[in-house]
Amino acid sequence: MVESSFDDKTECLTISIDGRFDYSCHKLFKEAFVSVNKAVAYEIDLSRVTYLDSSALGMLLLLRDHAGGEKANVHLKKPNGAVLDILKIANFHRLFEIEE
Amino acid sequence: MEQILNILIADDNPSDRILLKAILSQFGHNVISAVDGQDAVEKFDPDTIQLVCLDVKMPRKDGWEAALEIQRAAGDLFVPIIFLSGVADPIALSNCLRIGGTDFISKPYSPALITAKLNAIVRLLVMQKTLEEQRDAMSLYNEQLVHDQNVAKVVYENITHSNCLKDPALSTVHYGTHTFNGDVILAAYKPNGGMHLLLGDFTGHGLSAAIGALPLADIFFDWTKKGFLMRQIIPEINARLKSILPANMFCSAAFIDIKVNNKSIDIWNGGLPDLLFFSQQSKVPVRFESKNLPLGILPPDVFECQIDPVTFVPGNRLVVFSDGVYEAQDKSGAMFCHSVLNPLYEGEIADDQALDWMVEQLTQEGVLENPHDDISCLSIRLDSNIGIESHDHGVPTSHHEAPADFSFEYVLNADSLRNTDPLPYVLQIITTVPGLSSFSSQVFMILSELYSNALEHGVLGLKSDKKSSSDGFSQYYDEREQRLAALKDGFVKISVKVTSSDNERVLALYVEDSGSGFDYQNVNFDMSSSELLYNRGLALLDQLCHKLEFCKGGRGVTAYYHWQVGQDD
Repeated sequence: MVESSFDDKTECLTISIDGRFDYSCHKLFKEAFVSVNKAVAYEIDLSRVTYLDSSALGMLLLLRDHAGGEKANVHLKKPNGAVLDILKIANFHRLFEIEE
Repeated sequence: MEQILNILIADDNPSDRILLKAILSQFGHNVISAVDGQDAVEKFDPDTIQLVCLDVKMPRKDGWEAALEIQRAAGDLFVPIIFLSGVADPIALSNCLRIGGTDFISKPYSPALITAKLNAIVRLLVMQKTLEEQRDAMSLYNEQLVHDQNVAKVVYENITHSNCLKDPALSTVHYGTHTFNGDVILAAYKPNGGMHLLLGDFTGHGLSAAIGALPLADIFFDWTKKGFLMRQIIPEINARLKSILPANMFCSAAFIDIKVNNKSIDIWNGGLPDLLFFSQQSKVPVRFESKNLPLGILPPDVFECQIDPVTFVPGNRLVVFSDGVYEAQDKSGAMFCHSVLNPLYEGEIADDQALDWMVEQLTQEGVLENPHDDISCLSIRLDSNIGIESHDHGVPTSHHEAPADFSFEYVLNADSLRNTDPLPYVLQIITTVPGLSSFSSQVFMILSELYSNALEHGVLGLKSDKKSSSDGFSQYYDEREQRLAALKDGFVKISVKVTSSDNERVLALYVEDSGSGFDYQNVNFDMSSSELLYNRGLALLDQLCHKLEFCKGGRGVTAYYHWQVGQDD
C-alpha cells in the first residue's frame, strides 16, 4: 500500500508505505513522485513498513535522483528496528536524512 | 457460436432418451445414446465426446457414479456434464453440481431451456479451448525462453567462474531463485601471491540482476591479474557500474584482499551483513560492518573506500554471506539475524562448521524450499600459502626467445607517491620481455617488496617493529595513511635494466628512496630463525633473487633476477 499527499504551503510531498516495501510497490511508488513536479522536499513515512528489500532501496535511489541527486531533500521517517538495520547496512544514512 | 457437438446421453427411460435425442439432433448435434450409467461409461471416449448428459437415477450405475468415472477417464480434458433429473429436490440437484456437474436440466424437457443451456455450454467450451491454446503457446514460449537463458547462462558462467574458487582454502554455498541470479562470488590469485575475493549481491533477482555481474567480473579479473590493488579496483568497479546501471540498481558487496607477505587481510564492506573473522584470540567472532555505500550508487568524485585491515595467523577463518541469509525468515517469521544466527554471532559454532551449520538452519527453517532471495555464503581458511603453492599460470615457455636489452627509469615525487601506484605499469613493461612473463608473479613480489620498503621505511620513515603486535599492525597502517596524506617532499626512483647474454637473462631492479637509509649490515636473512612478523620482507627478497646489493647507506638497493632460456624446466 502506497499513499501520498502534497502540501501546497510547504511544497512537501509525503509518501507513506504500509506493510512490505518491495518490488510490488514499484509502480505506485514511482507514480507518487513522478506525478508531482512542484515538490521541493520529500518525506517518506516508513513507520508502518514491516520489511524493506533491496529493490525498495533502489526505489529510494530513484526518488533521490528525481529530487535532484546530491541536492535532494529527502527525509526517511520513523523506520522500525529491522528497517533501520537494513538502511544502515547499506549506509543509506549517508544519502538520506533518517529520522528515528 | 454455431458449433456441432458430439453429445453422449444416458437415460434408462426410453421415451425421455428418444425425446432428448430428437431435440439435440434438431440443432445438428451428433448424439450417442446409452441405456444406463455403466453403458455411458463404456461408450465415453474423451477424444470425441464434448458433452455428456446423465440421468441421475439409473440401474447398474447411477448418474453420480458414472459422472465420477467419466471425469477420471477425461483426465486433463474438460468435458462438461449435465445432469437430467425428474426430482426437484434442491439437495439432490446441488449434489449434482458439487461432484463436478456443469449444470442440470429438469424434466419434463423444455426445448427453449435446452437451447439456452446448450448455447451456454458452447460458450464455455470455446472459452476453454482458447485458454488451452493460450496455455500451450505460453508453455512453448516459456520453453524457448528457458532454452535461451540456459545458453546465456553458459556464457555468463564462463565469465564469472573463470576464477580460483576451487582453491582448497575456500568453501562456498550458492542458491539462486532463478536460472540466473544476482549473487556473484569471484576469486582470483594476485600476481605476487595471495588472493582477491569478492562476494556481490545485485538488486533484484534473475537476468536483470545478473547482467551487472559481467562488467564487474571483467574488471575484477583483469585488474587483479595486472597487479592493481584493491583500493584501485573498487573505485573502478564502482565507476563502471554507476555509468551502466539504472539509478535503482546497485551491488552490495564485500571485497577481501588476502596478503600473504605480511599475513593480513584488507576488508571492504559496502552493504553486506557483517563479515565474521574467527581467531583464537577471541571467543566471539570479530564483526566487520558495512562502512561503505554499495557499488554503483555514488559518482566517482565522491566515492570513498573505507577499508579495515586485520592480521591473521594460519587457520583463522573469515565468513561472508549475502542478505539472503541475514534477512531469511524462520518459521515464526523472525529474521535470521535476530534469531537463528545468534549462536554464530556468539561464537558457539565452530568456525570450520559455520557454512554447514548455516545450510542446516536454512533447510530446517524451510528457507531453501522457498527462497525469496539469492543466497550466497563464503568461508575462507586463511593461510600464508594461498596463491603461492597452488599457483599455476600455465604460460608455455618458448625455446626461441629473442634476447632483450633495455632499461628505463621511473621517478615518483611526493604527489605521485600519494596518488598513484606505479607497480602495475612497471610490471606491464617488464612482462613484455620475452620469457619473463612466466615469472611475473615472482618479479611482482620482488618489485612490490622493494617499493613498499622504499616508501614506508625510506620516504615515510615508519619503523617496522611497530607491526609486532596486531594492534600495532593497524596503527602502523593508520600512520602510513596519515603520513602519506601529509607528504610534501621525497621521492622513490625505480630503475629497470634487462640484459641478455647467450641463454642467460638478467633483470636488475634498482630502487632508491629519499629516506635516511638503514643498517643493512645486520639484517637477518634467515627466515626460519625469525618468528617476527616484520623482518620477513628482506629475507623473502633474498630467497627470490639471485643477488641483493645495498648502496648509499641503505637508501638504494638492487635486486638481480636471473632466468634461462632454451632449456627445459
